[in-house]
Amino acid sequence: MSVEAREARQPWILLSPALTAVTFLLFVPLLFIVVYSFWLSSATGADIPAFSFENWEEALTDPFYRDILLNTLKIAGITTIVCALMGYPAAYFIARARGNKAFLLLLLILPFWISYIIRTMSWINILGVSGAVNWLLVNLGLTEEPIQMLYNETTVILGLVHFLLPFMVLNVFVSLDGIDTNLEDAATSLGATKWQAFLQVTLPLSLPGLAAGGLLCFVLGAGTYITPMVLGGPRDAMFANLVYEAIITQLNWPLGSALSLMLLIVLGALVLIYNRYLGMAQLVKGLG
Amino acid sequence: MTRKIDDTTRYERLLERYRNGDLDRRSFLGLIGAAGVAYGLQTPFAKYAHAQDVSQIRFDGWGGVVSEAFREYAFDPYTEKTGIEVVDGTFSGGDEYLAQVRASQPGEYNIAHLSGVFDYARYKNFDLTTQLNLDNIPNFELVMDRLVEPYRAITPDALSAVPYNYGTTGLAYNRAYISDEEMKEKGARSLIDPAYEGKIGGWSDWRTRIWYGALATDQDPNDIQDMEAVWDAIRQHRDLALKYWGSGAELMSLLAEEEIYVTEGWSGRIAALQEQGHDIGYYDPPNGFGWQECLFVIKGSPVAACEELLNFMLAPETSIAVAEGQNYPPALDGTKVDLGDKIPTLPAYDPTGTLSGLTFADPEYWNGNEAEWSKEFSRVQRGY
Amino acid sequence: MGWHLIRLWTLLVYGFMFLPVAVVVLLSFNASQFGSFPMTGFSFRWFVELAQNDAILRAFRTSLILGALTALISTTLGVLASLALVRYRVPAANMITTLLIAPILVPEVVLAVALLLFLNFLDLPKSFPMLLLGHVIFTLPFVILVVQARLVSIRRDVEEAALSLGASPVQTFFQITLPLMLPAVLAGALFAFTISFDDITGTLFWKPGGVETVPTQIFSMLRNSISPEINALGTVMILLTVGVPLLGLALARALATRSGG
Repeated sequence: MSVEAREARQPWILLSPALTAVTFLLFVPLLFIVVYSFWLSSATGADIPAFSFENWEEALTDPFYRDILLNTLKIAGITTIVCALMGYPAAYFIARARGNKAFLLLLLILPFWISYIIRTMSWINILGVSGAVNWLLVNLGLTEEPIQMLYNETTVILGLVHFLLPFMVLNVFVSLDGIDTNLEDAATSLGATKWQAFLQVTLPLSLPGLAAGGLLCFVLGAGTYITPMVLGGPRDAMFANLVYEAIITQLNWPLGSALSLMLLIVLGALVLIYNRYLGMAQLVKGLG
Repeated sequence: MTRKIDDTTRYERLLERYRNGDLDRRSFLGLIGAAGVAYGLQTPFAKYAHAQDVSQIRFDGWGGVVSEAFREYAFDPYTEKTGIEVVDGTFSGGDEYLAQVRASQPGEYNIAHLSGVFDYARYKNFDLTTQLNLDNIPNFELVMDRLVEPYRAITPDALSAVPYNYGTTGLAYNRAYISDEEMKEKGARSLIDPAYEGKIGGWSDWRTRIWYGALATDQDPNDIQDMEAVWDAIRQHRDLALKYWGSGAELMSLLAEEEIYVTEGWSGRIAALQEQGHDIGYYDPPNGFGWQECLFVIKGSPVAACEELLNFMLAPETSIAVAEGQNYPPALDGTKVDLGDKIPTLPAYDPTGTLSGLTFADPEYWNGNEAEWSKEFSRVQRGY
Repeated sequence: MGWHLIRLWTLLVYGFMFLPVAVVVLLSFNASQFGSFPMTGFSFRWFVELAQNDAILRAFRTSLILGALTALISTTLGVLASLALVRYRVPAANMITTLLIAPILVPEVVLAVALLLFLNFLDLPKSFPMLLLGHVIFTLPFVILVVQARLVSIRRDVEEAALSLGASPVQTFFQITLPLMLPAVLAGALFAFTISFDDITGTLFWKPGGVETVPTQIFSMLRNSISPEINALGTVMILLTVGVPLLGLALARALATRSGG
């Protein structure tokens, strides 16, 4: 076998386990969902096999689904930006700190040891009318009456940020940690201020991590359904809640299938754009 | 009678097989060692649940105190007697469980602790019922007739479940802010009282919202004439409410932390709050929402083995232990069985054994409207 | 000046992250079940009850095993795939990356139902290995994203130097590339572990009979009430994860001063 042929085969050998897993555990099962999305649900009992565009028509034309999808993207976007603003400096600190970095990172994962639902519900003890913050405010004389802070879109975002921030920090850290600090020193010795050196050397080099963290935050934020249920008001819902309700509460698997494929297509398109313009391949070229 | 003898000999035979099987498995696992692998290897045995020889039965229900009580009073004694192992799983809700059952193989799931009449009817629609021979469940004699009637109406030939416990979804209120008299006077309307804006809660369940919407508009929940009025009441409630809760744990913490002053609530959860010393009142308005739960045997299960297990689960000591754990009265008739000291004090408990004070949902009416109403509620909830 | 600001900011971020943790730790010592502030009593009863609760401890063990195996498999798959995508010229690499990230683009409940339907179609019963594979599939994207981000910043010429000095590609990988990307590999494994440890939706659907993880235990308690034993479990885990490294550090320092002195 020629060297080139071996060279060309190698990446596929490396890729094959992951691709096999994704194919058999995701894409083939998803075919069922695709098929299901053309079926018809009956009011009671089993779904009816068919080839109908009814579910798709409903999912695509009904403003109810469109509005909530747009709102979901908005909430996920805000969450991602907040995560980046909060997470980047923290990751920078960890990467440049002289202490034990691994320990600082480990601390960041601690909240995950407390189950998601408990963590989310514990905000009632913090921000609730008889929670810690209000107790503090009242005792400091800053307010007469406890303030109602919970159960709105802001608390949904707060819950999401708390959930997703570690992903942002870890991704950015991993990227920053790989950058040679001498580069920044070199830039300052050539007359750049520290801030300029950061903007022109460190930040661009850490973009892959920031982009990866941002993508994770966005996609996970857009796919969540428990946080709006626990921290949102009666109206607050994200698209995944509608999918969950269609499949679990309304037992309407055909419509639920169409809705989830719709979300998959929208998020998939965003990831493709990301990969095309911000993604790894692009960045590799930039660095090369 | 022959059937009974057959079963006994079969159990004896099974007991022996199980012992052999158990030995095999233990030595096998000893060789492998890793606990993780052990879980994987358990499942081939699960297939036996629907084969000729029953070696285990799967039960699914609520975790925590409920599953502890079942384990101690029913499952362990049952296994000791029959040699059949009871594997208990948990679920977080009946809707999600039905989705799992729909995507499973026949016989994979056997007995489940489900919402009485609604789920019973839905499982019937999905053709998931079996036929129980009540002669094999002697403790069934102790169950209140009133709880069985709705099931007989759905499956007249034979039951596929036995009733297990009941409760109400009534009005729960913080007595520091709302007096008992005020609650009696306003009833379901207190949930749409602008005076409590931002201090109102409610269950996110579409059935409960519609039921209380009907009560607030003075309609019979089992025969709603003006549906538009009900949706309007639901919209009003949505706009005044701080939060829809989705679980008993959330309901309790919202009331205990004074986030909300009034909501509808599950009788057993409010009783638990009162037990802990919170000054929360509970009121079942006229036509208040009564409900029951059952132990349902799913199609494809080994029926005789399940019947025997149901008998263990219906036994007074099991029923009482479960009831005291979750604060919902058991399905057993208090005039036939001594239910102890605590149960007669539980809300919704009926000492007469007739349950004449409770209104249950008419399953035919509600399930007939399920597809339309559950979808419409999803929209109304979000402001559409 | 700037550094102080960054440090302050980081402190605030950590404070934010720890708020719920603090609440849970406090509540685990609370005498009553619900906590309003100020707290009313102090008690160890939930720890005592936790120690006697076989179901929760068993679930905890299952979660640990499941998380560890998930992290192992998913990190291996993820590292191999990232290497291929970053270090080789792969046609349609963008497309492949998107495909590999796809598991987190599908709402988990749909993935859960789809996989169940497929297993049912194949006539396969639910089992622990299937649950494990399910966890691998949705933790894989995390590993791939973090490892790729690190890999692109590792300069190719170091590897090429090793190769040109006669090292085999395998040697180069283990002696040059792997150490350089180790932080990302560890971060990926940590991601995979925590995501698996904390997962609820998929686990609810895929778990076979008799297998419970900590989150599924908690979810099944939601209807009645979550026992504060769960808070106690959280506290124990936090004490272990913070305590063991701190103890190790202190020991190392003590030993260092002794040998130094």
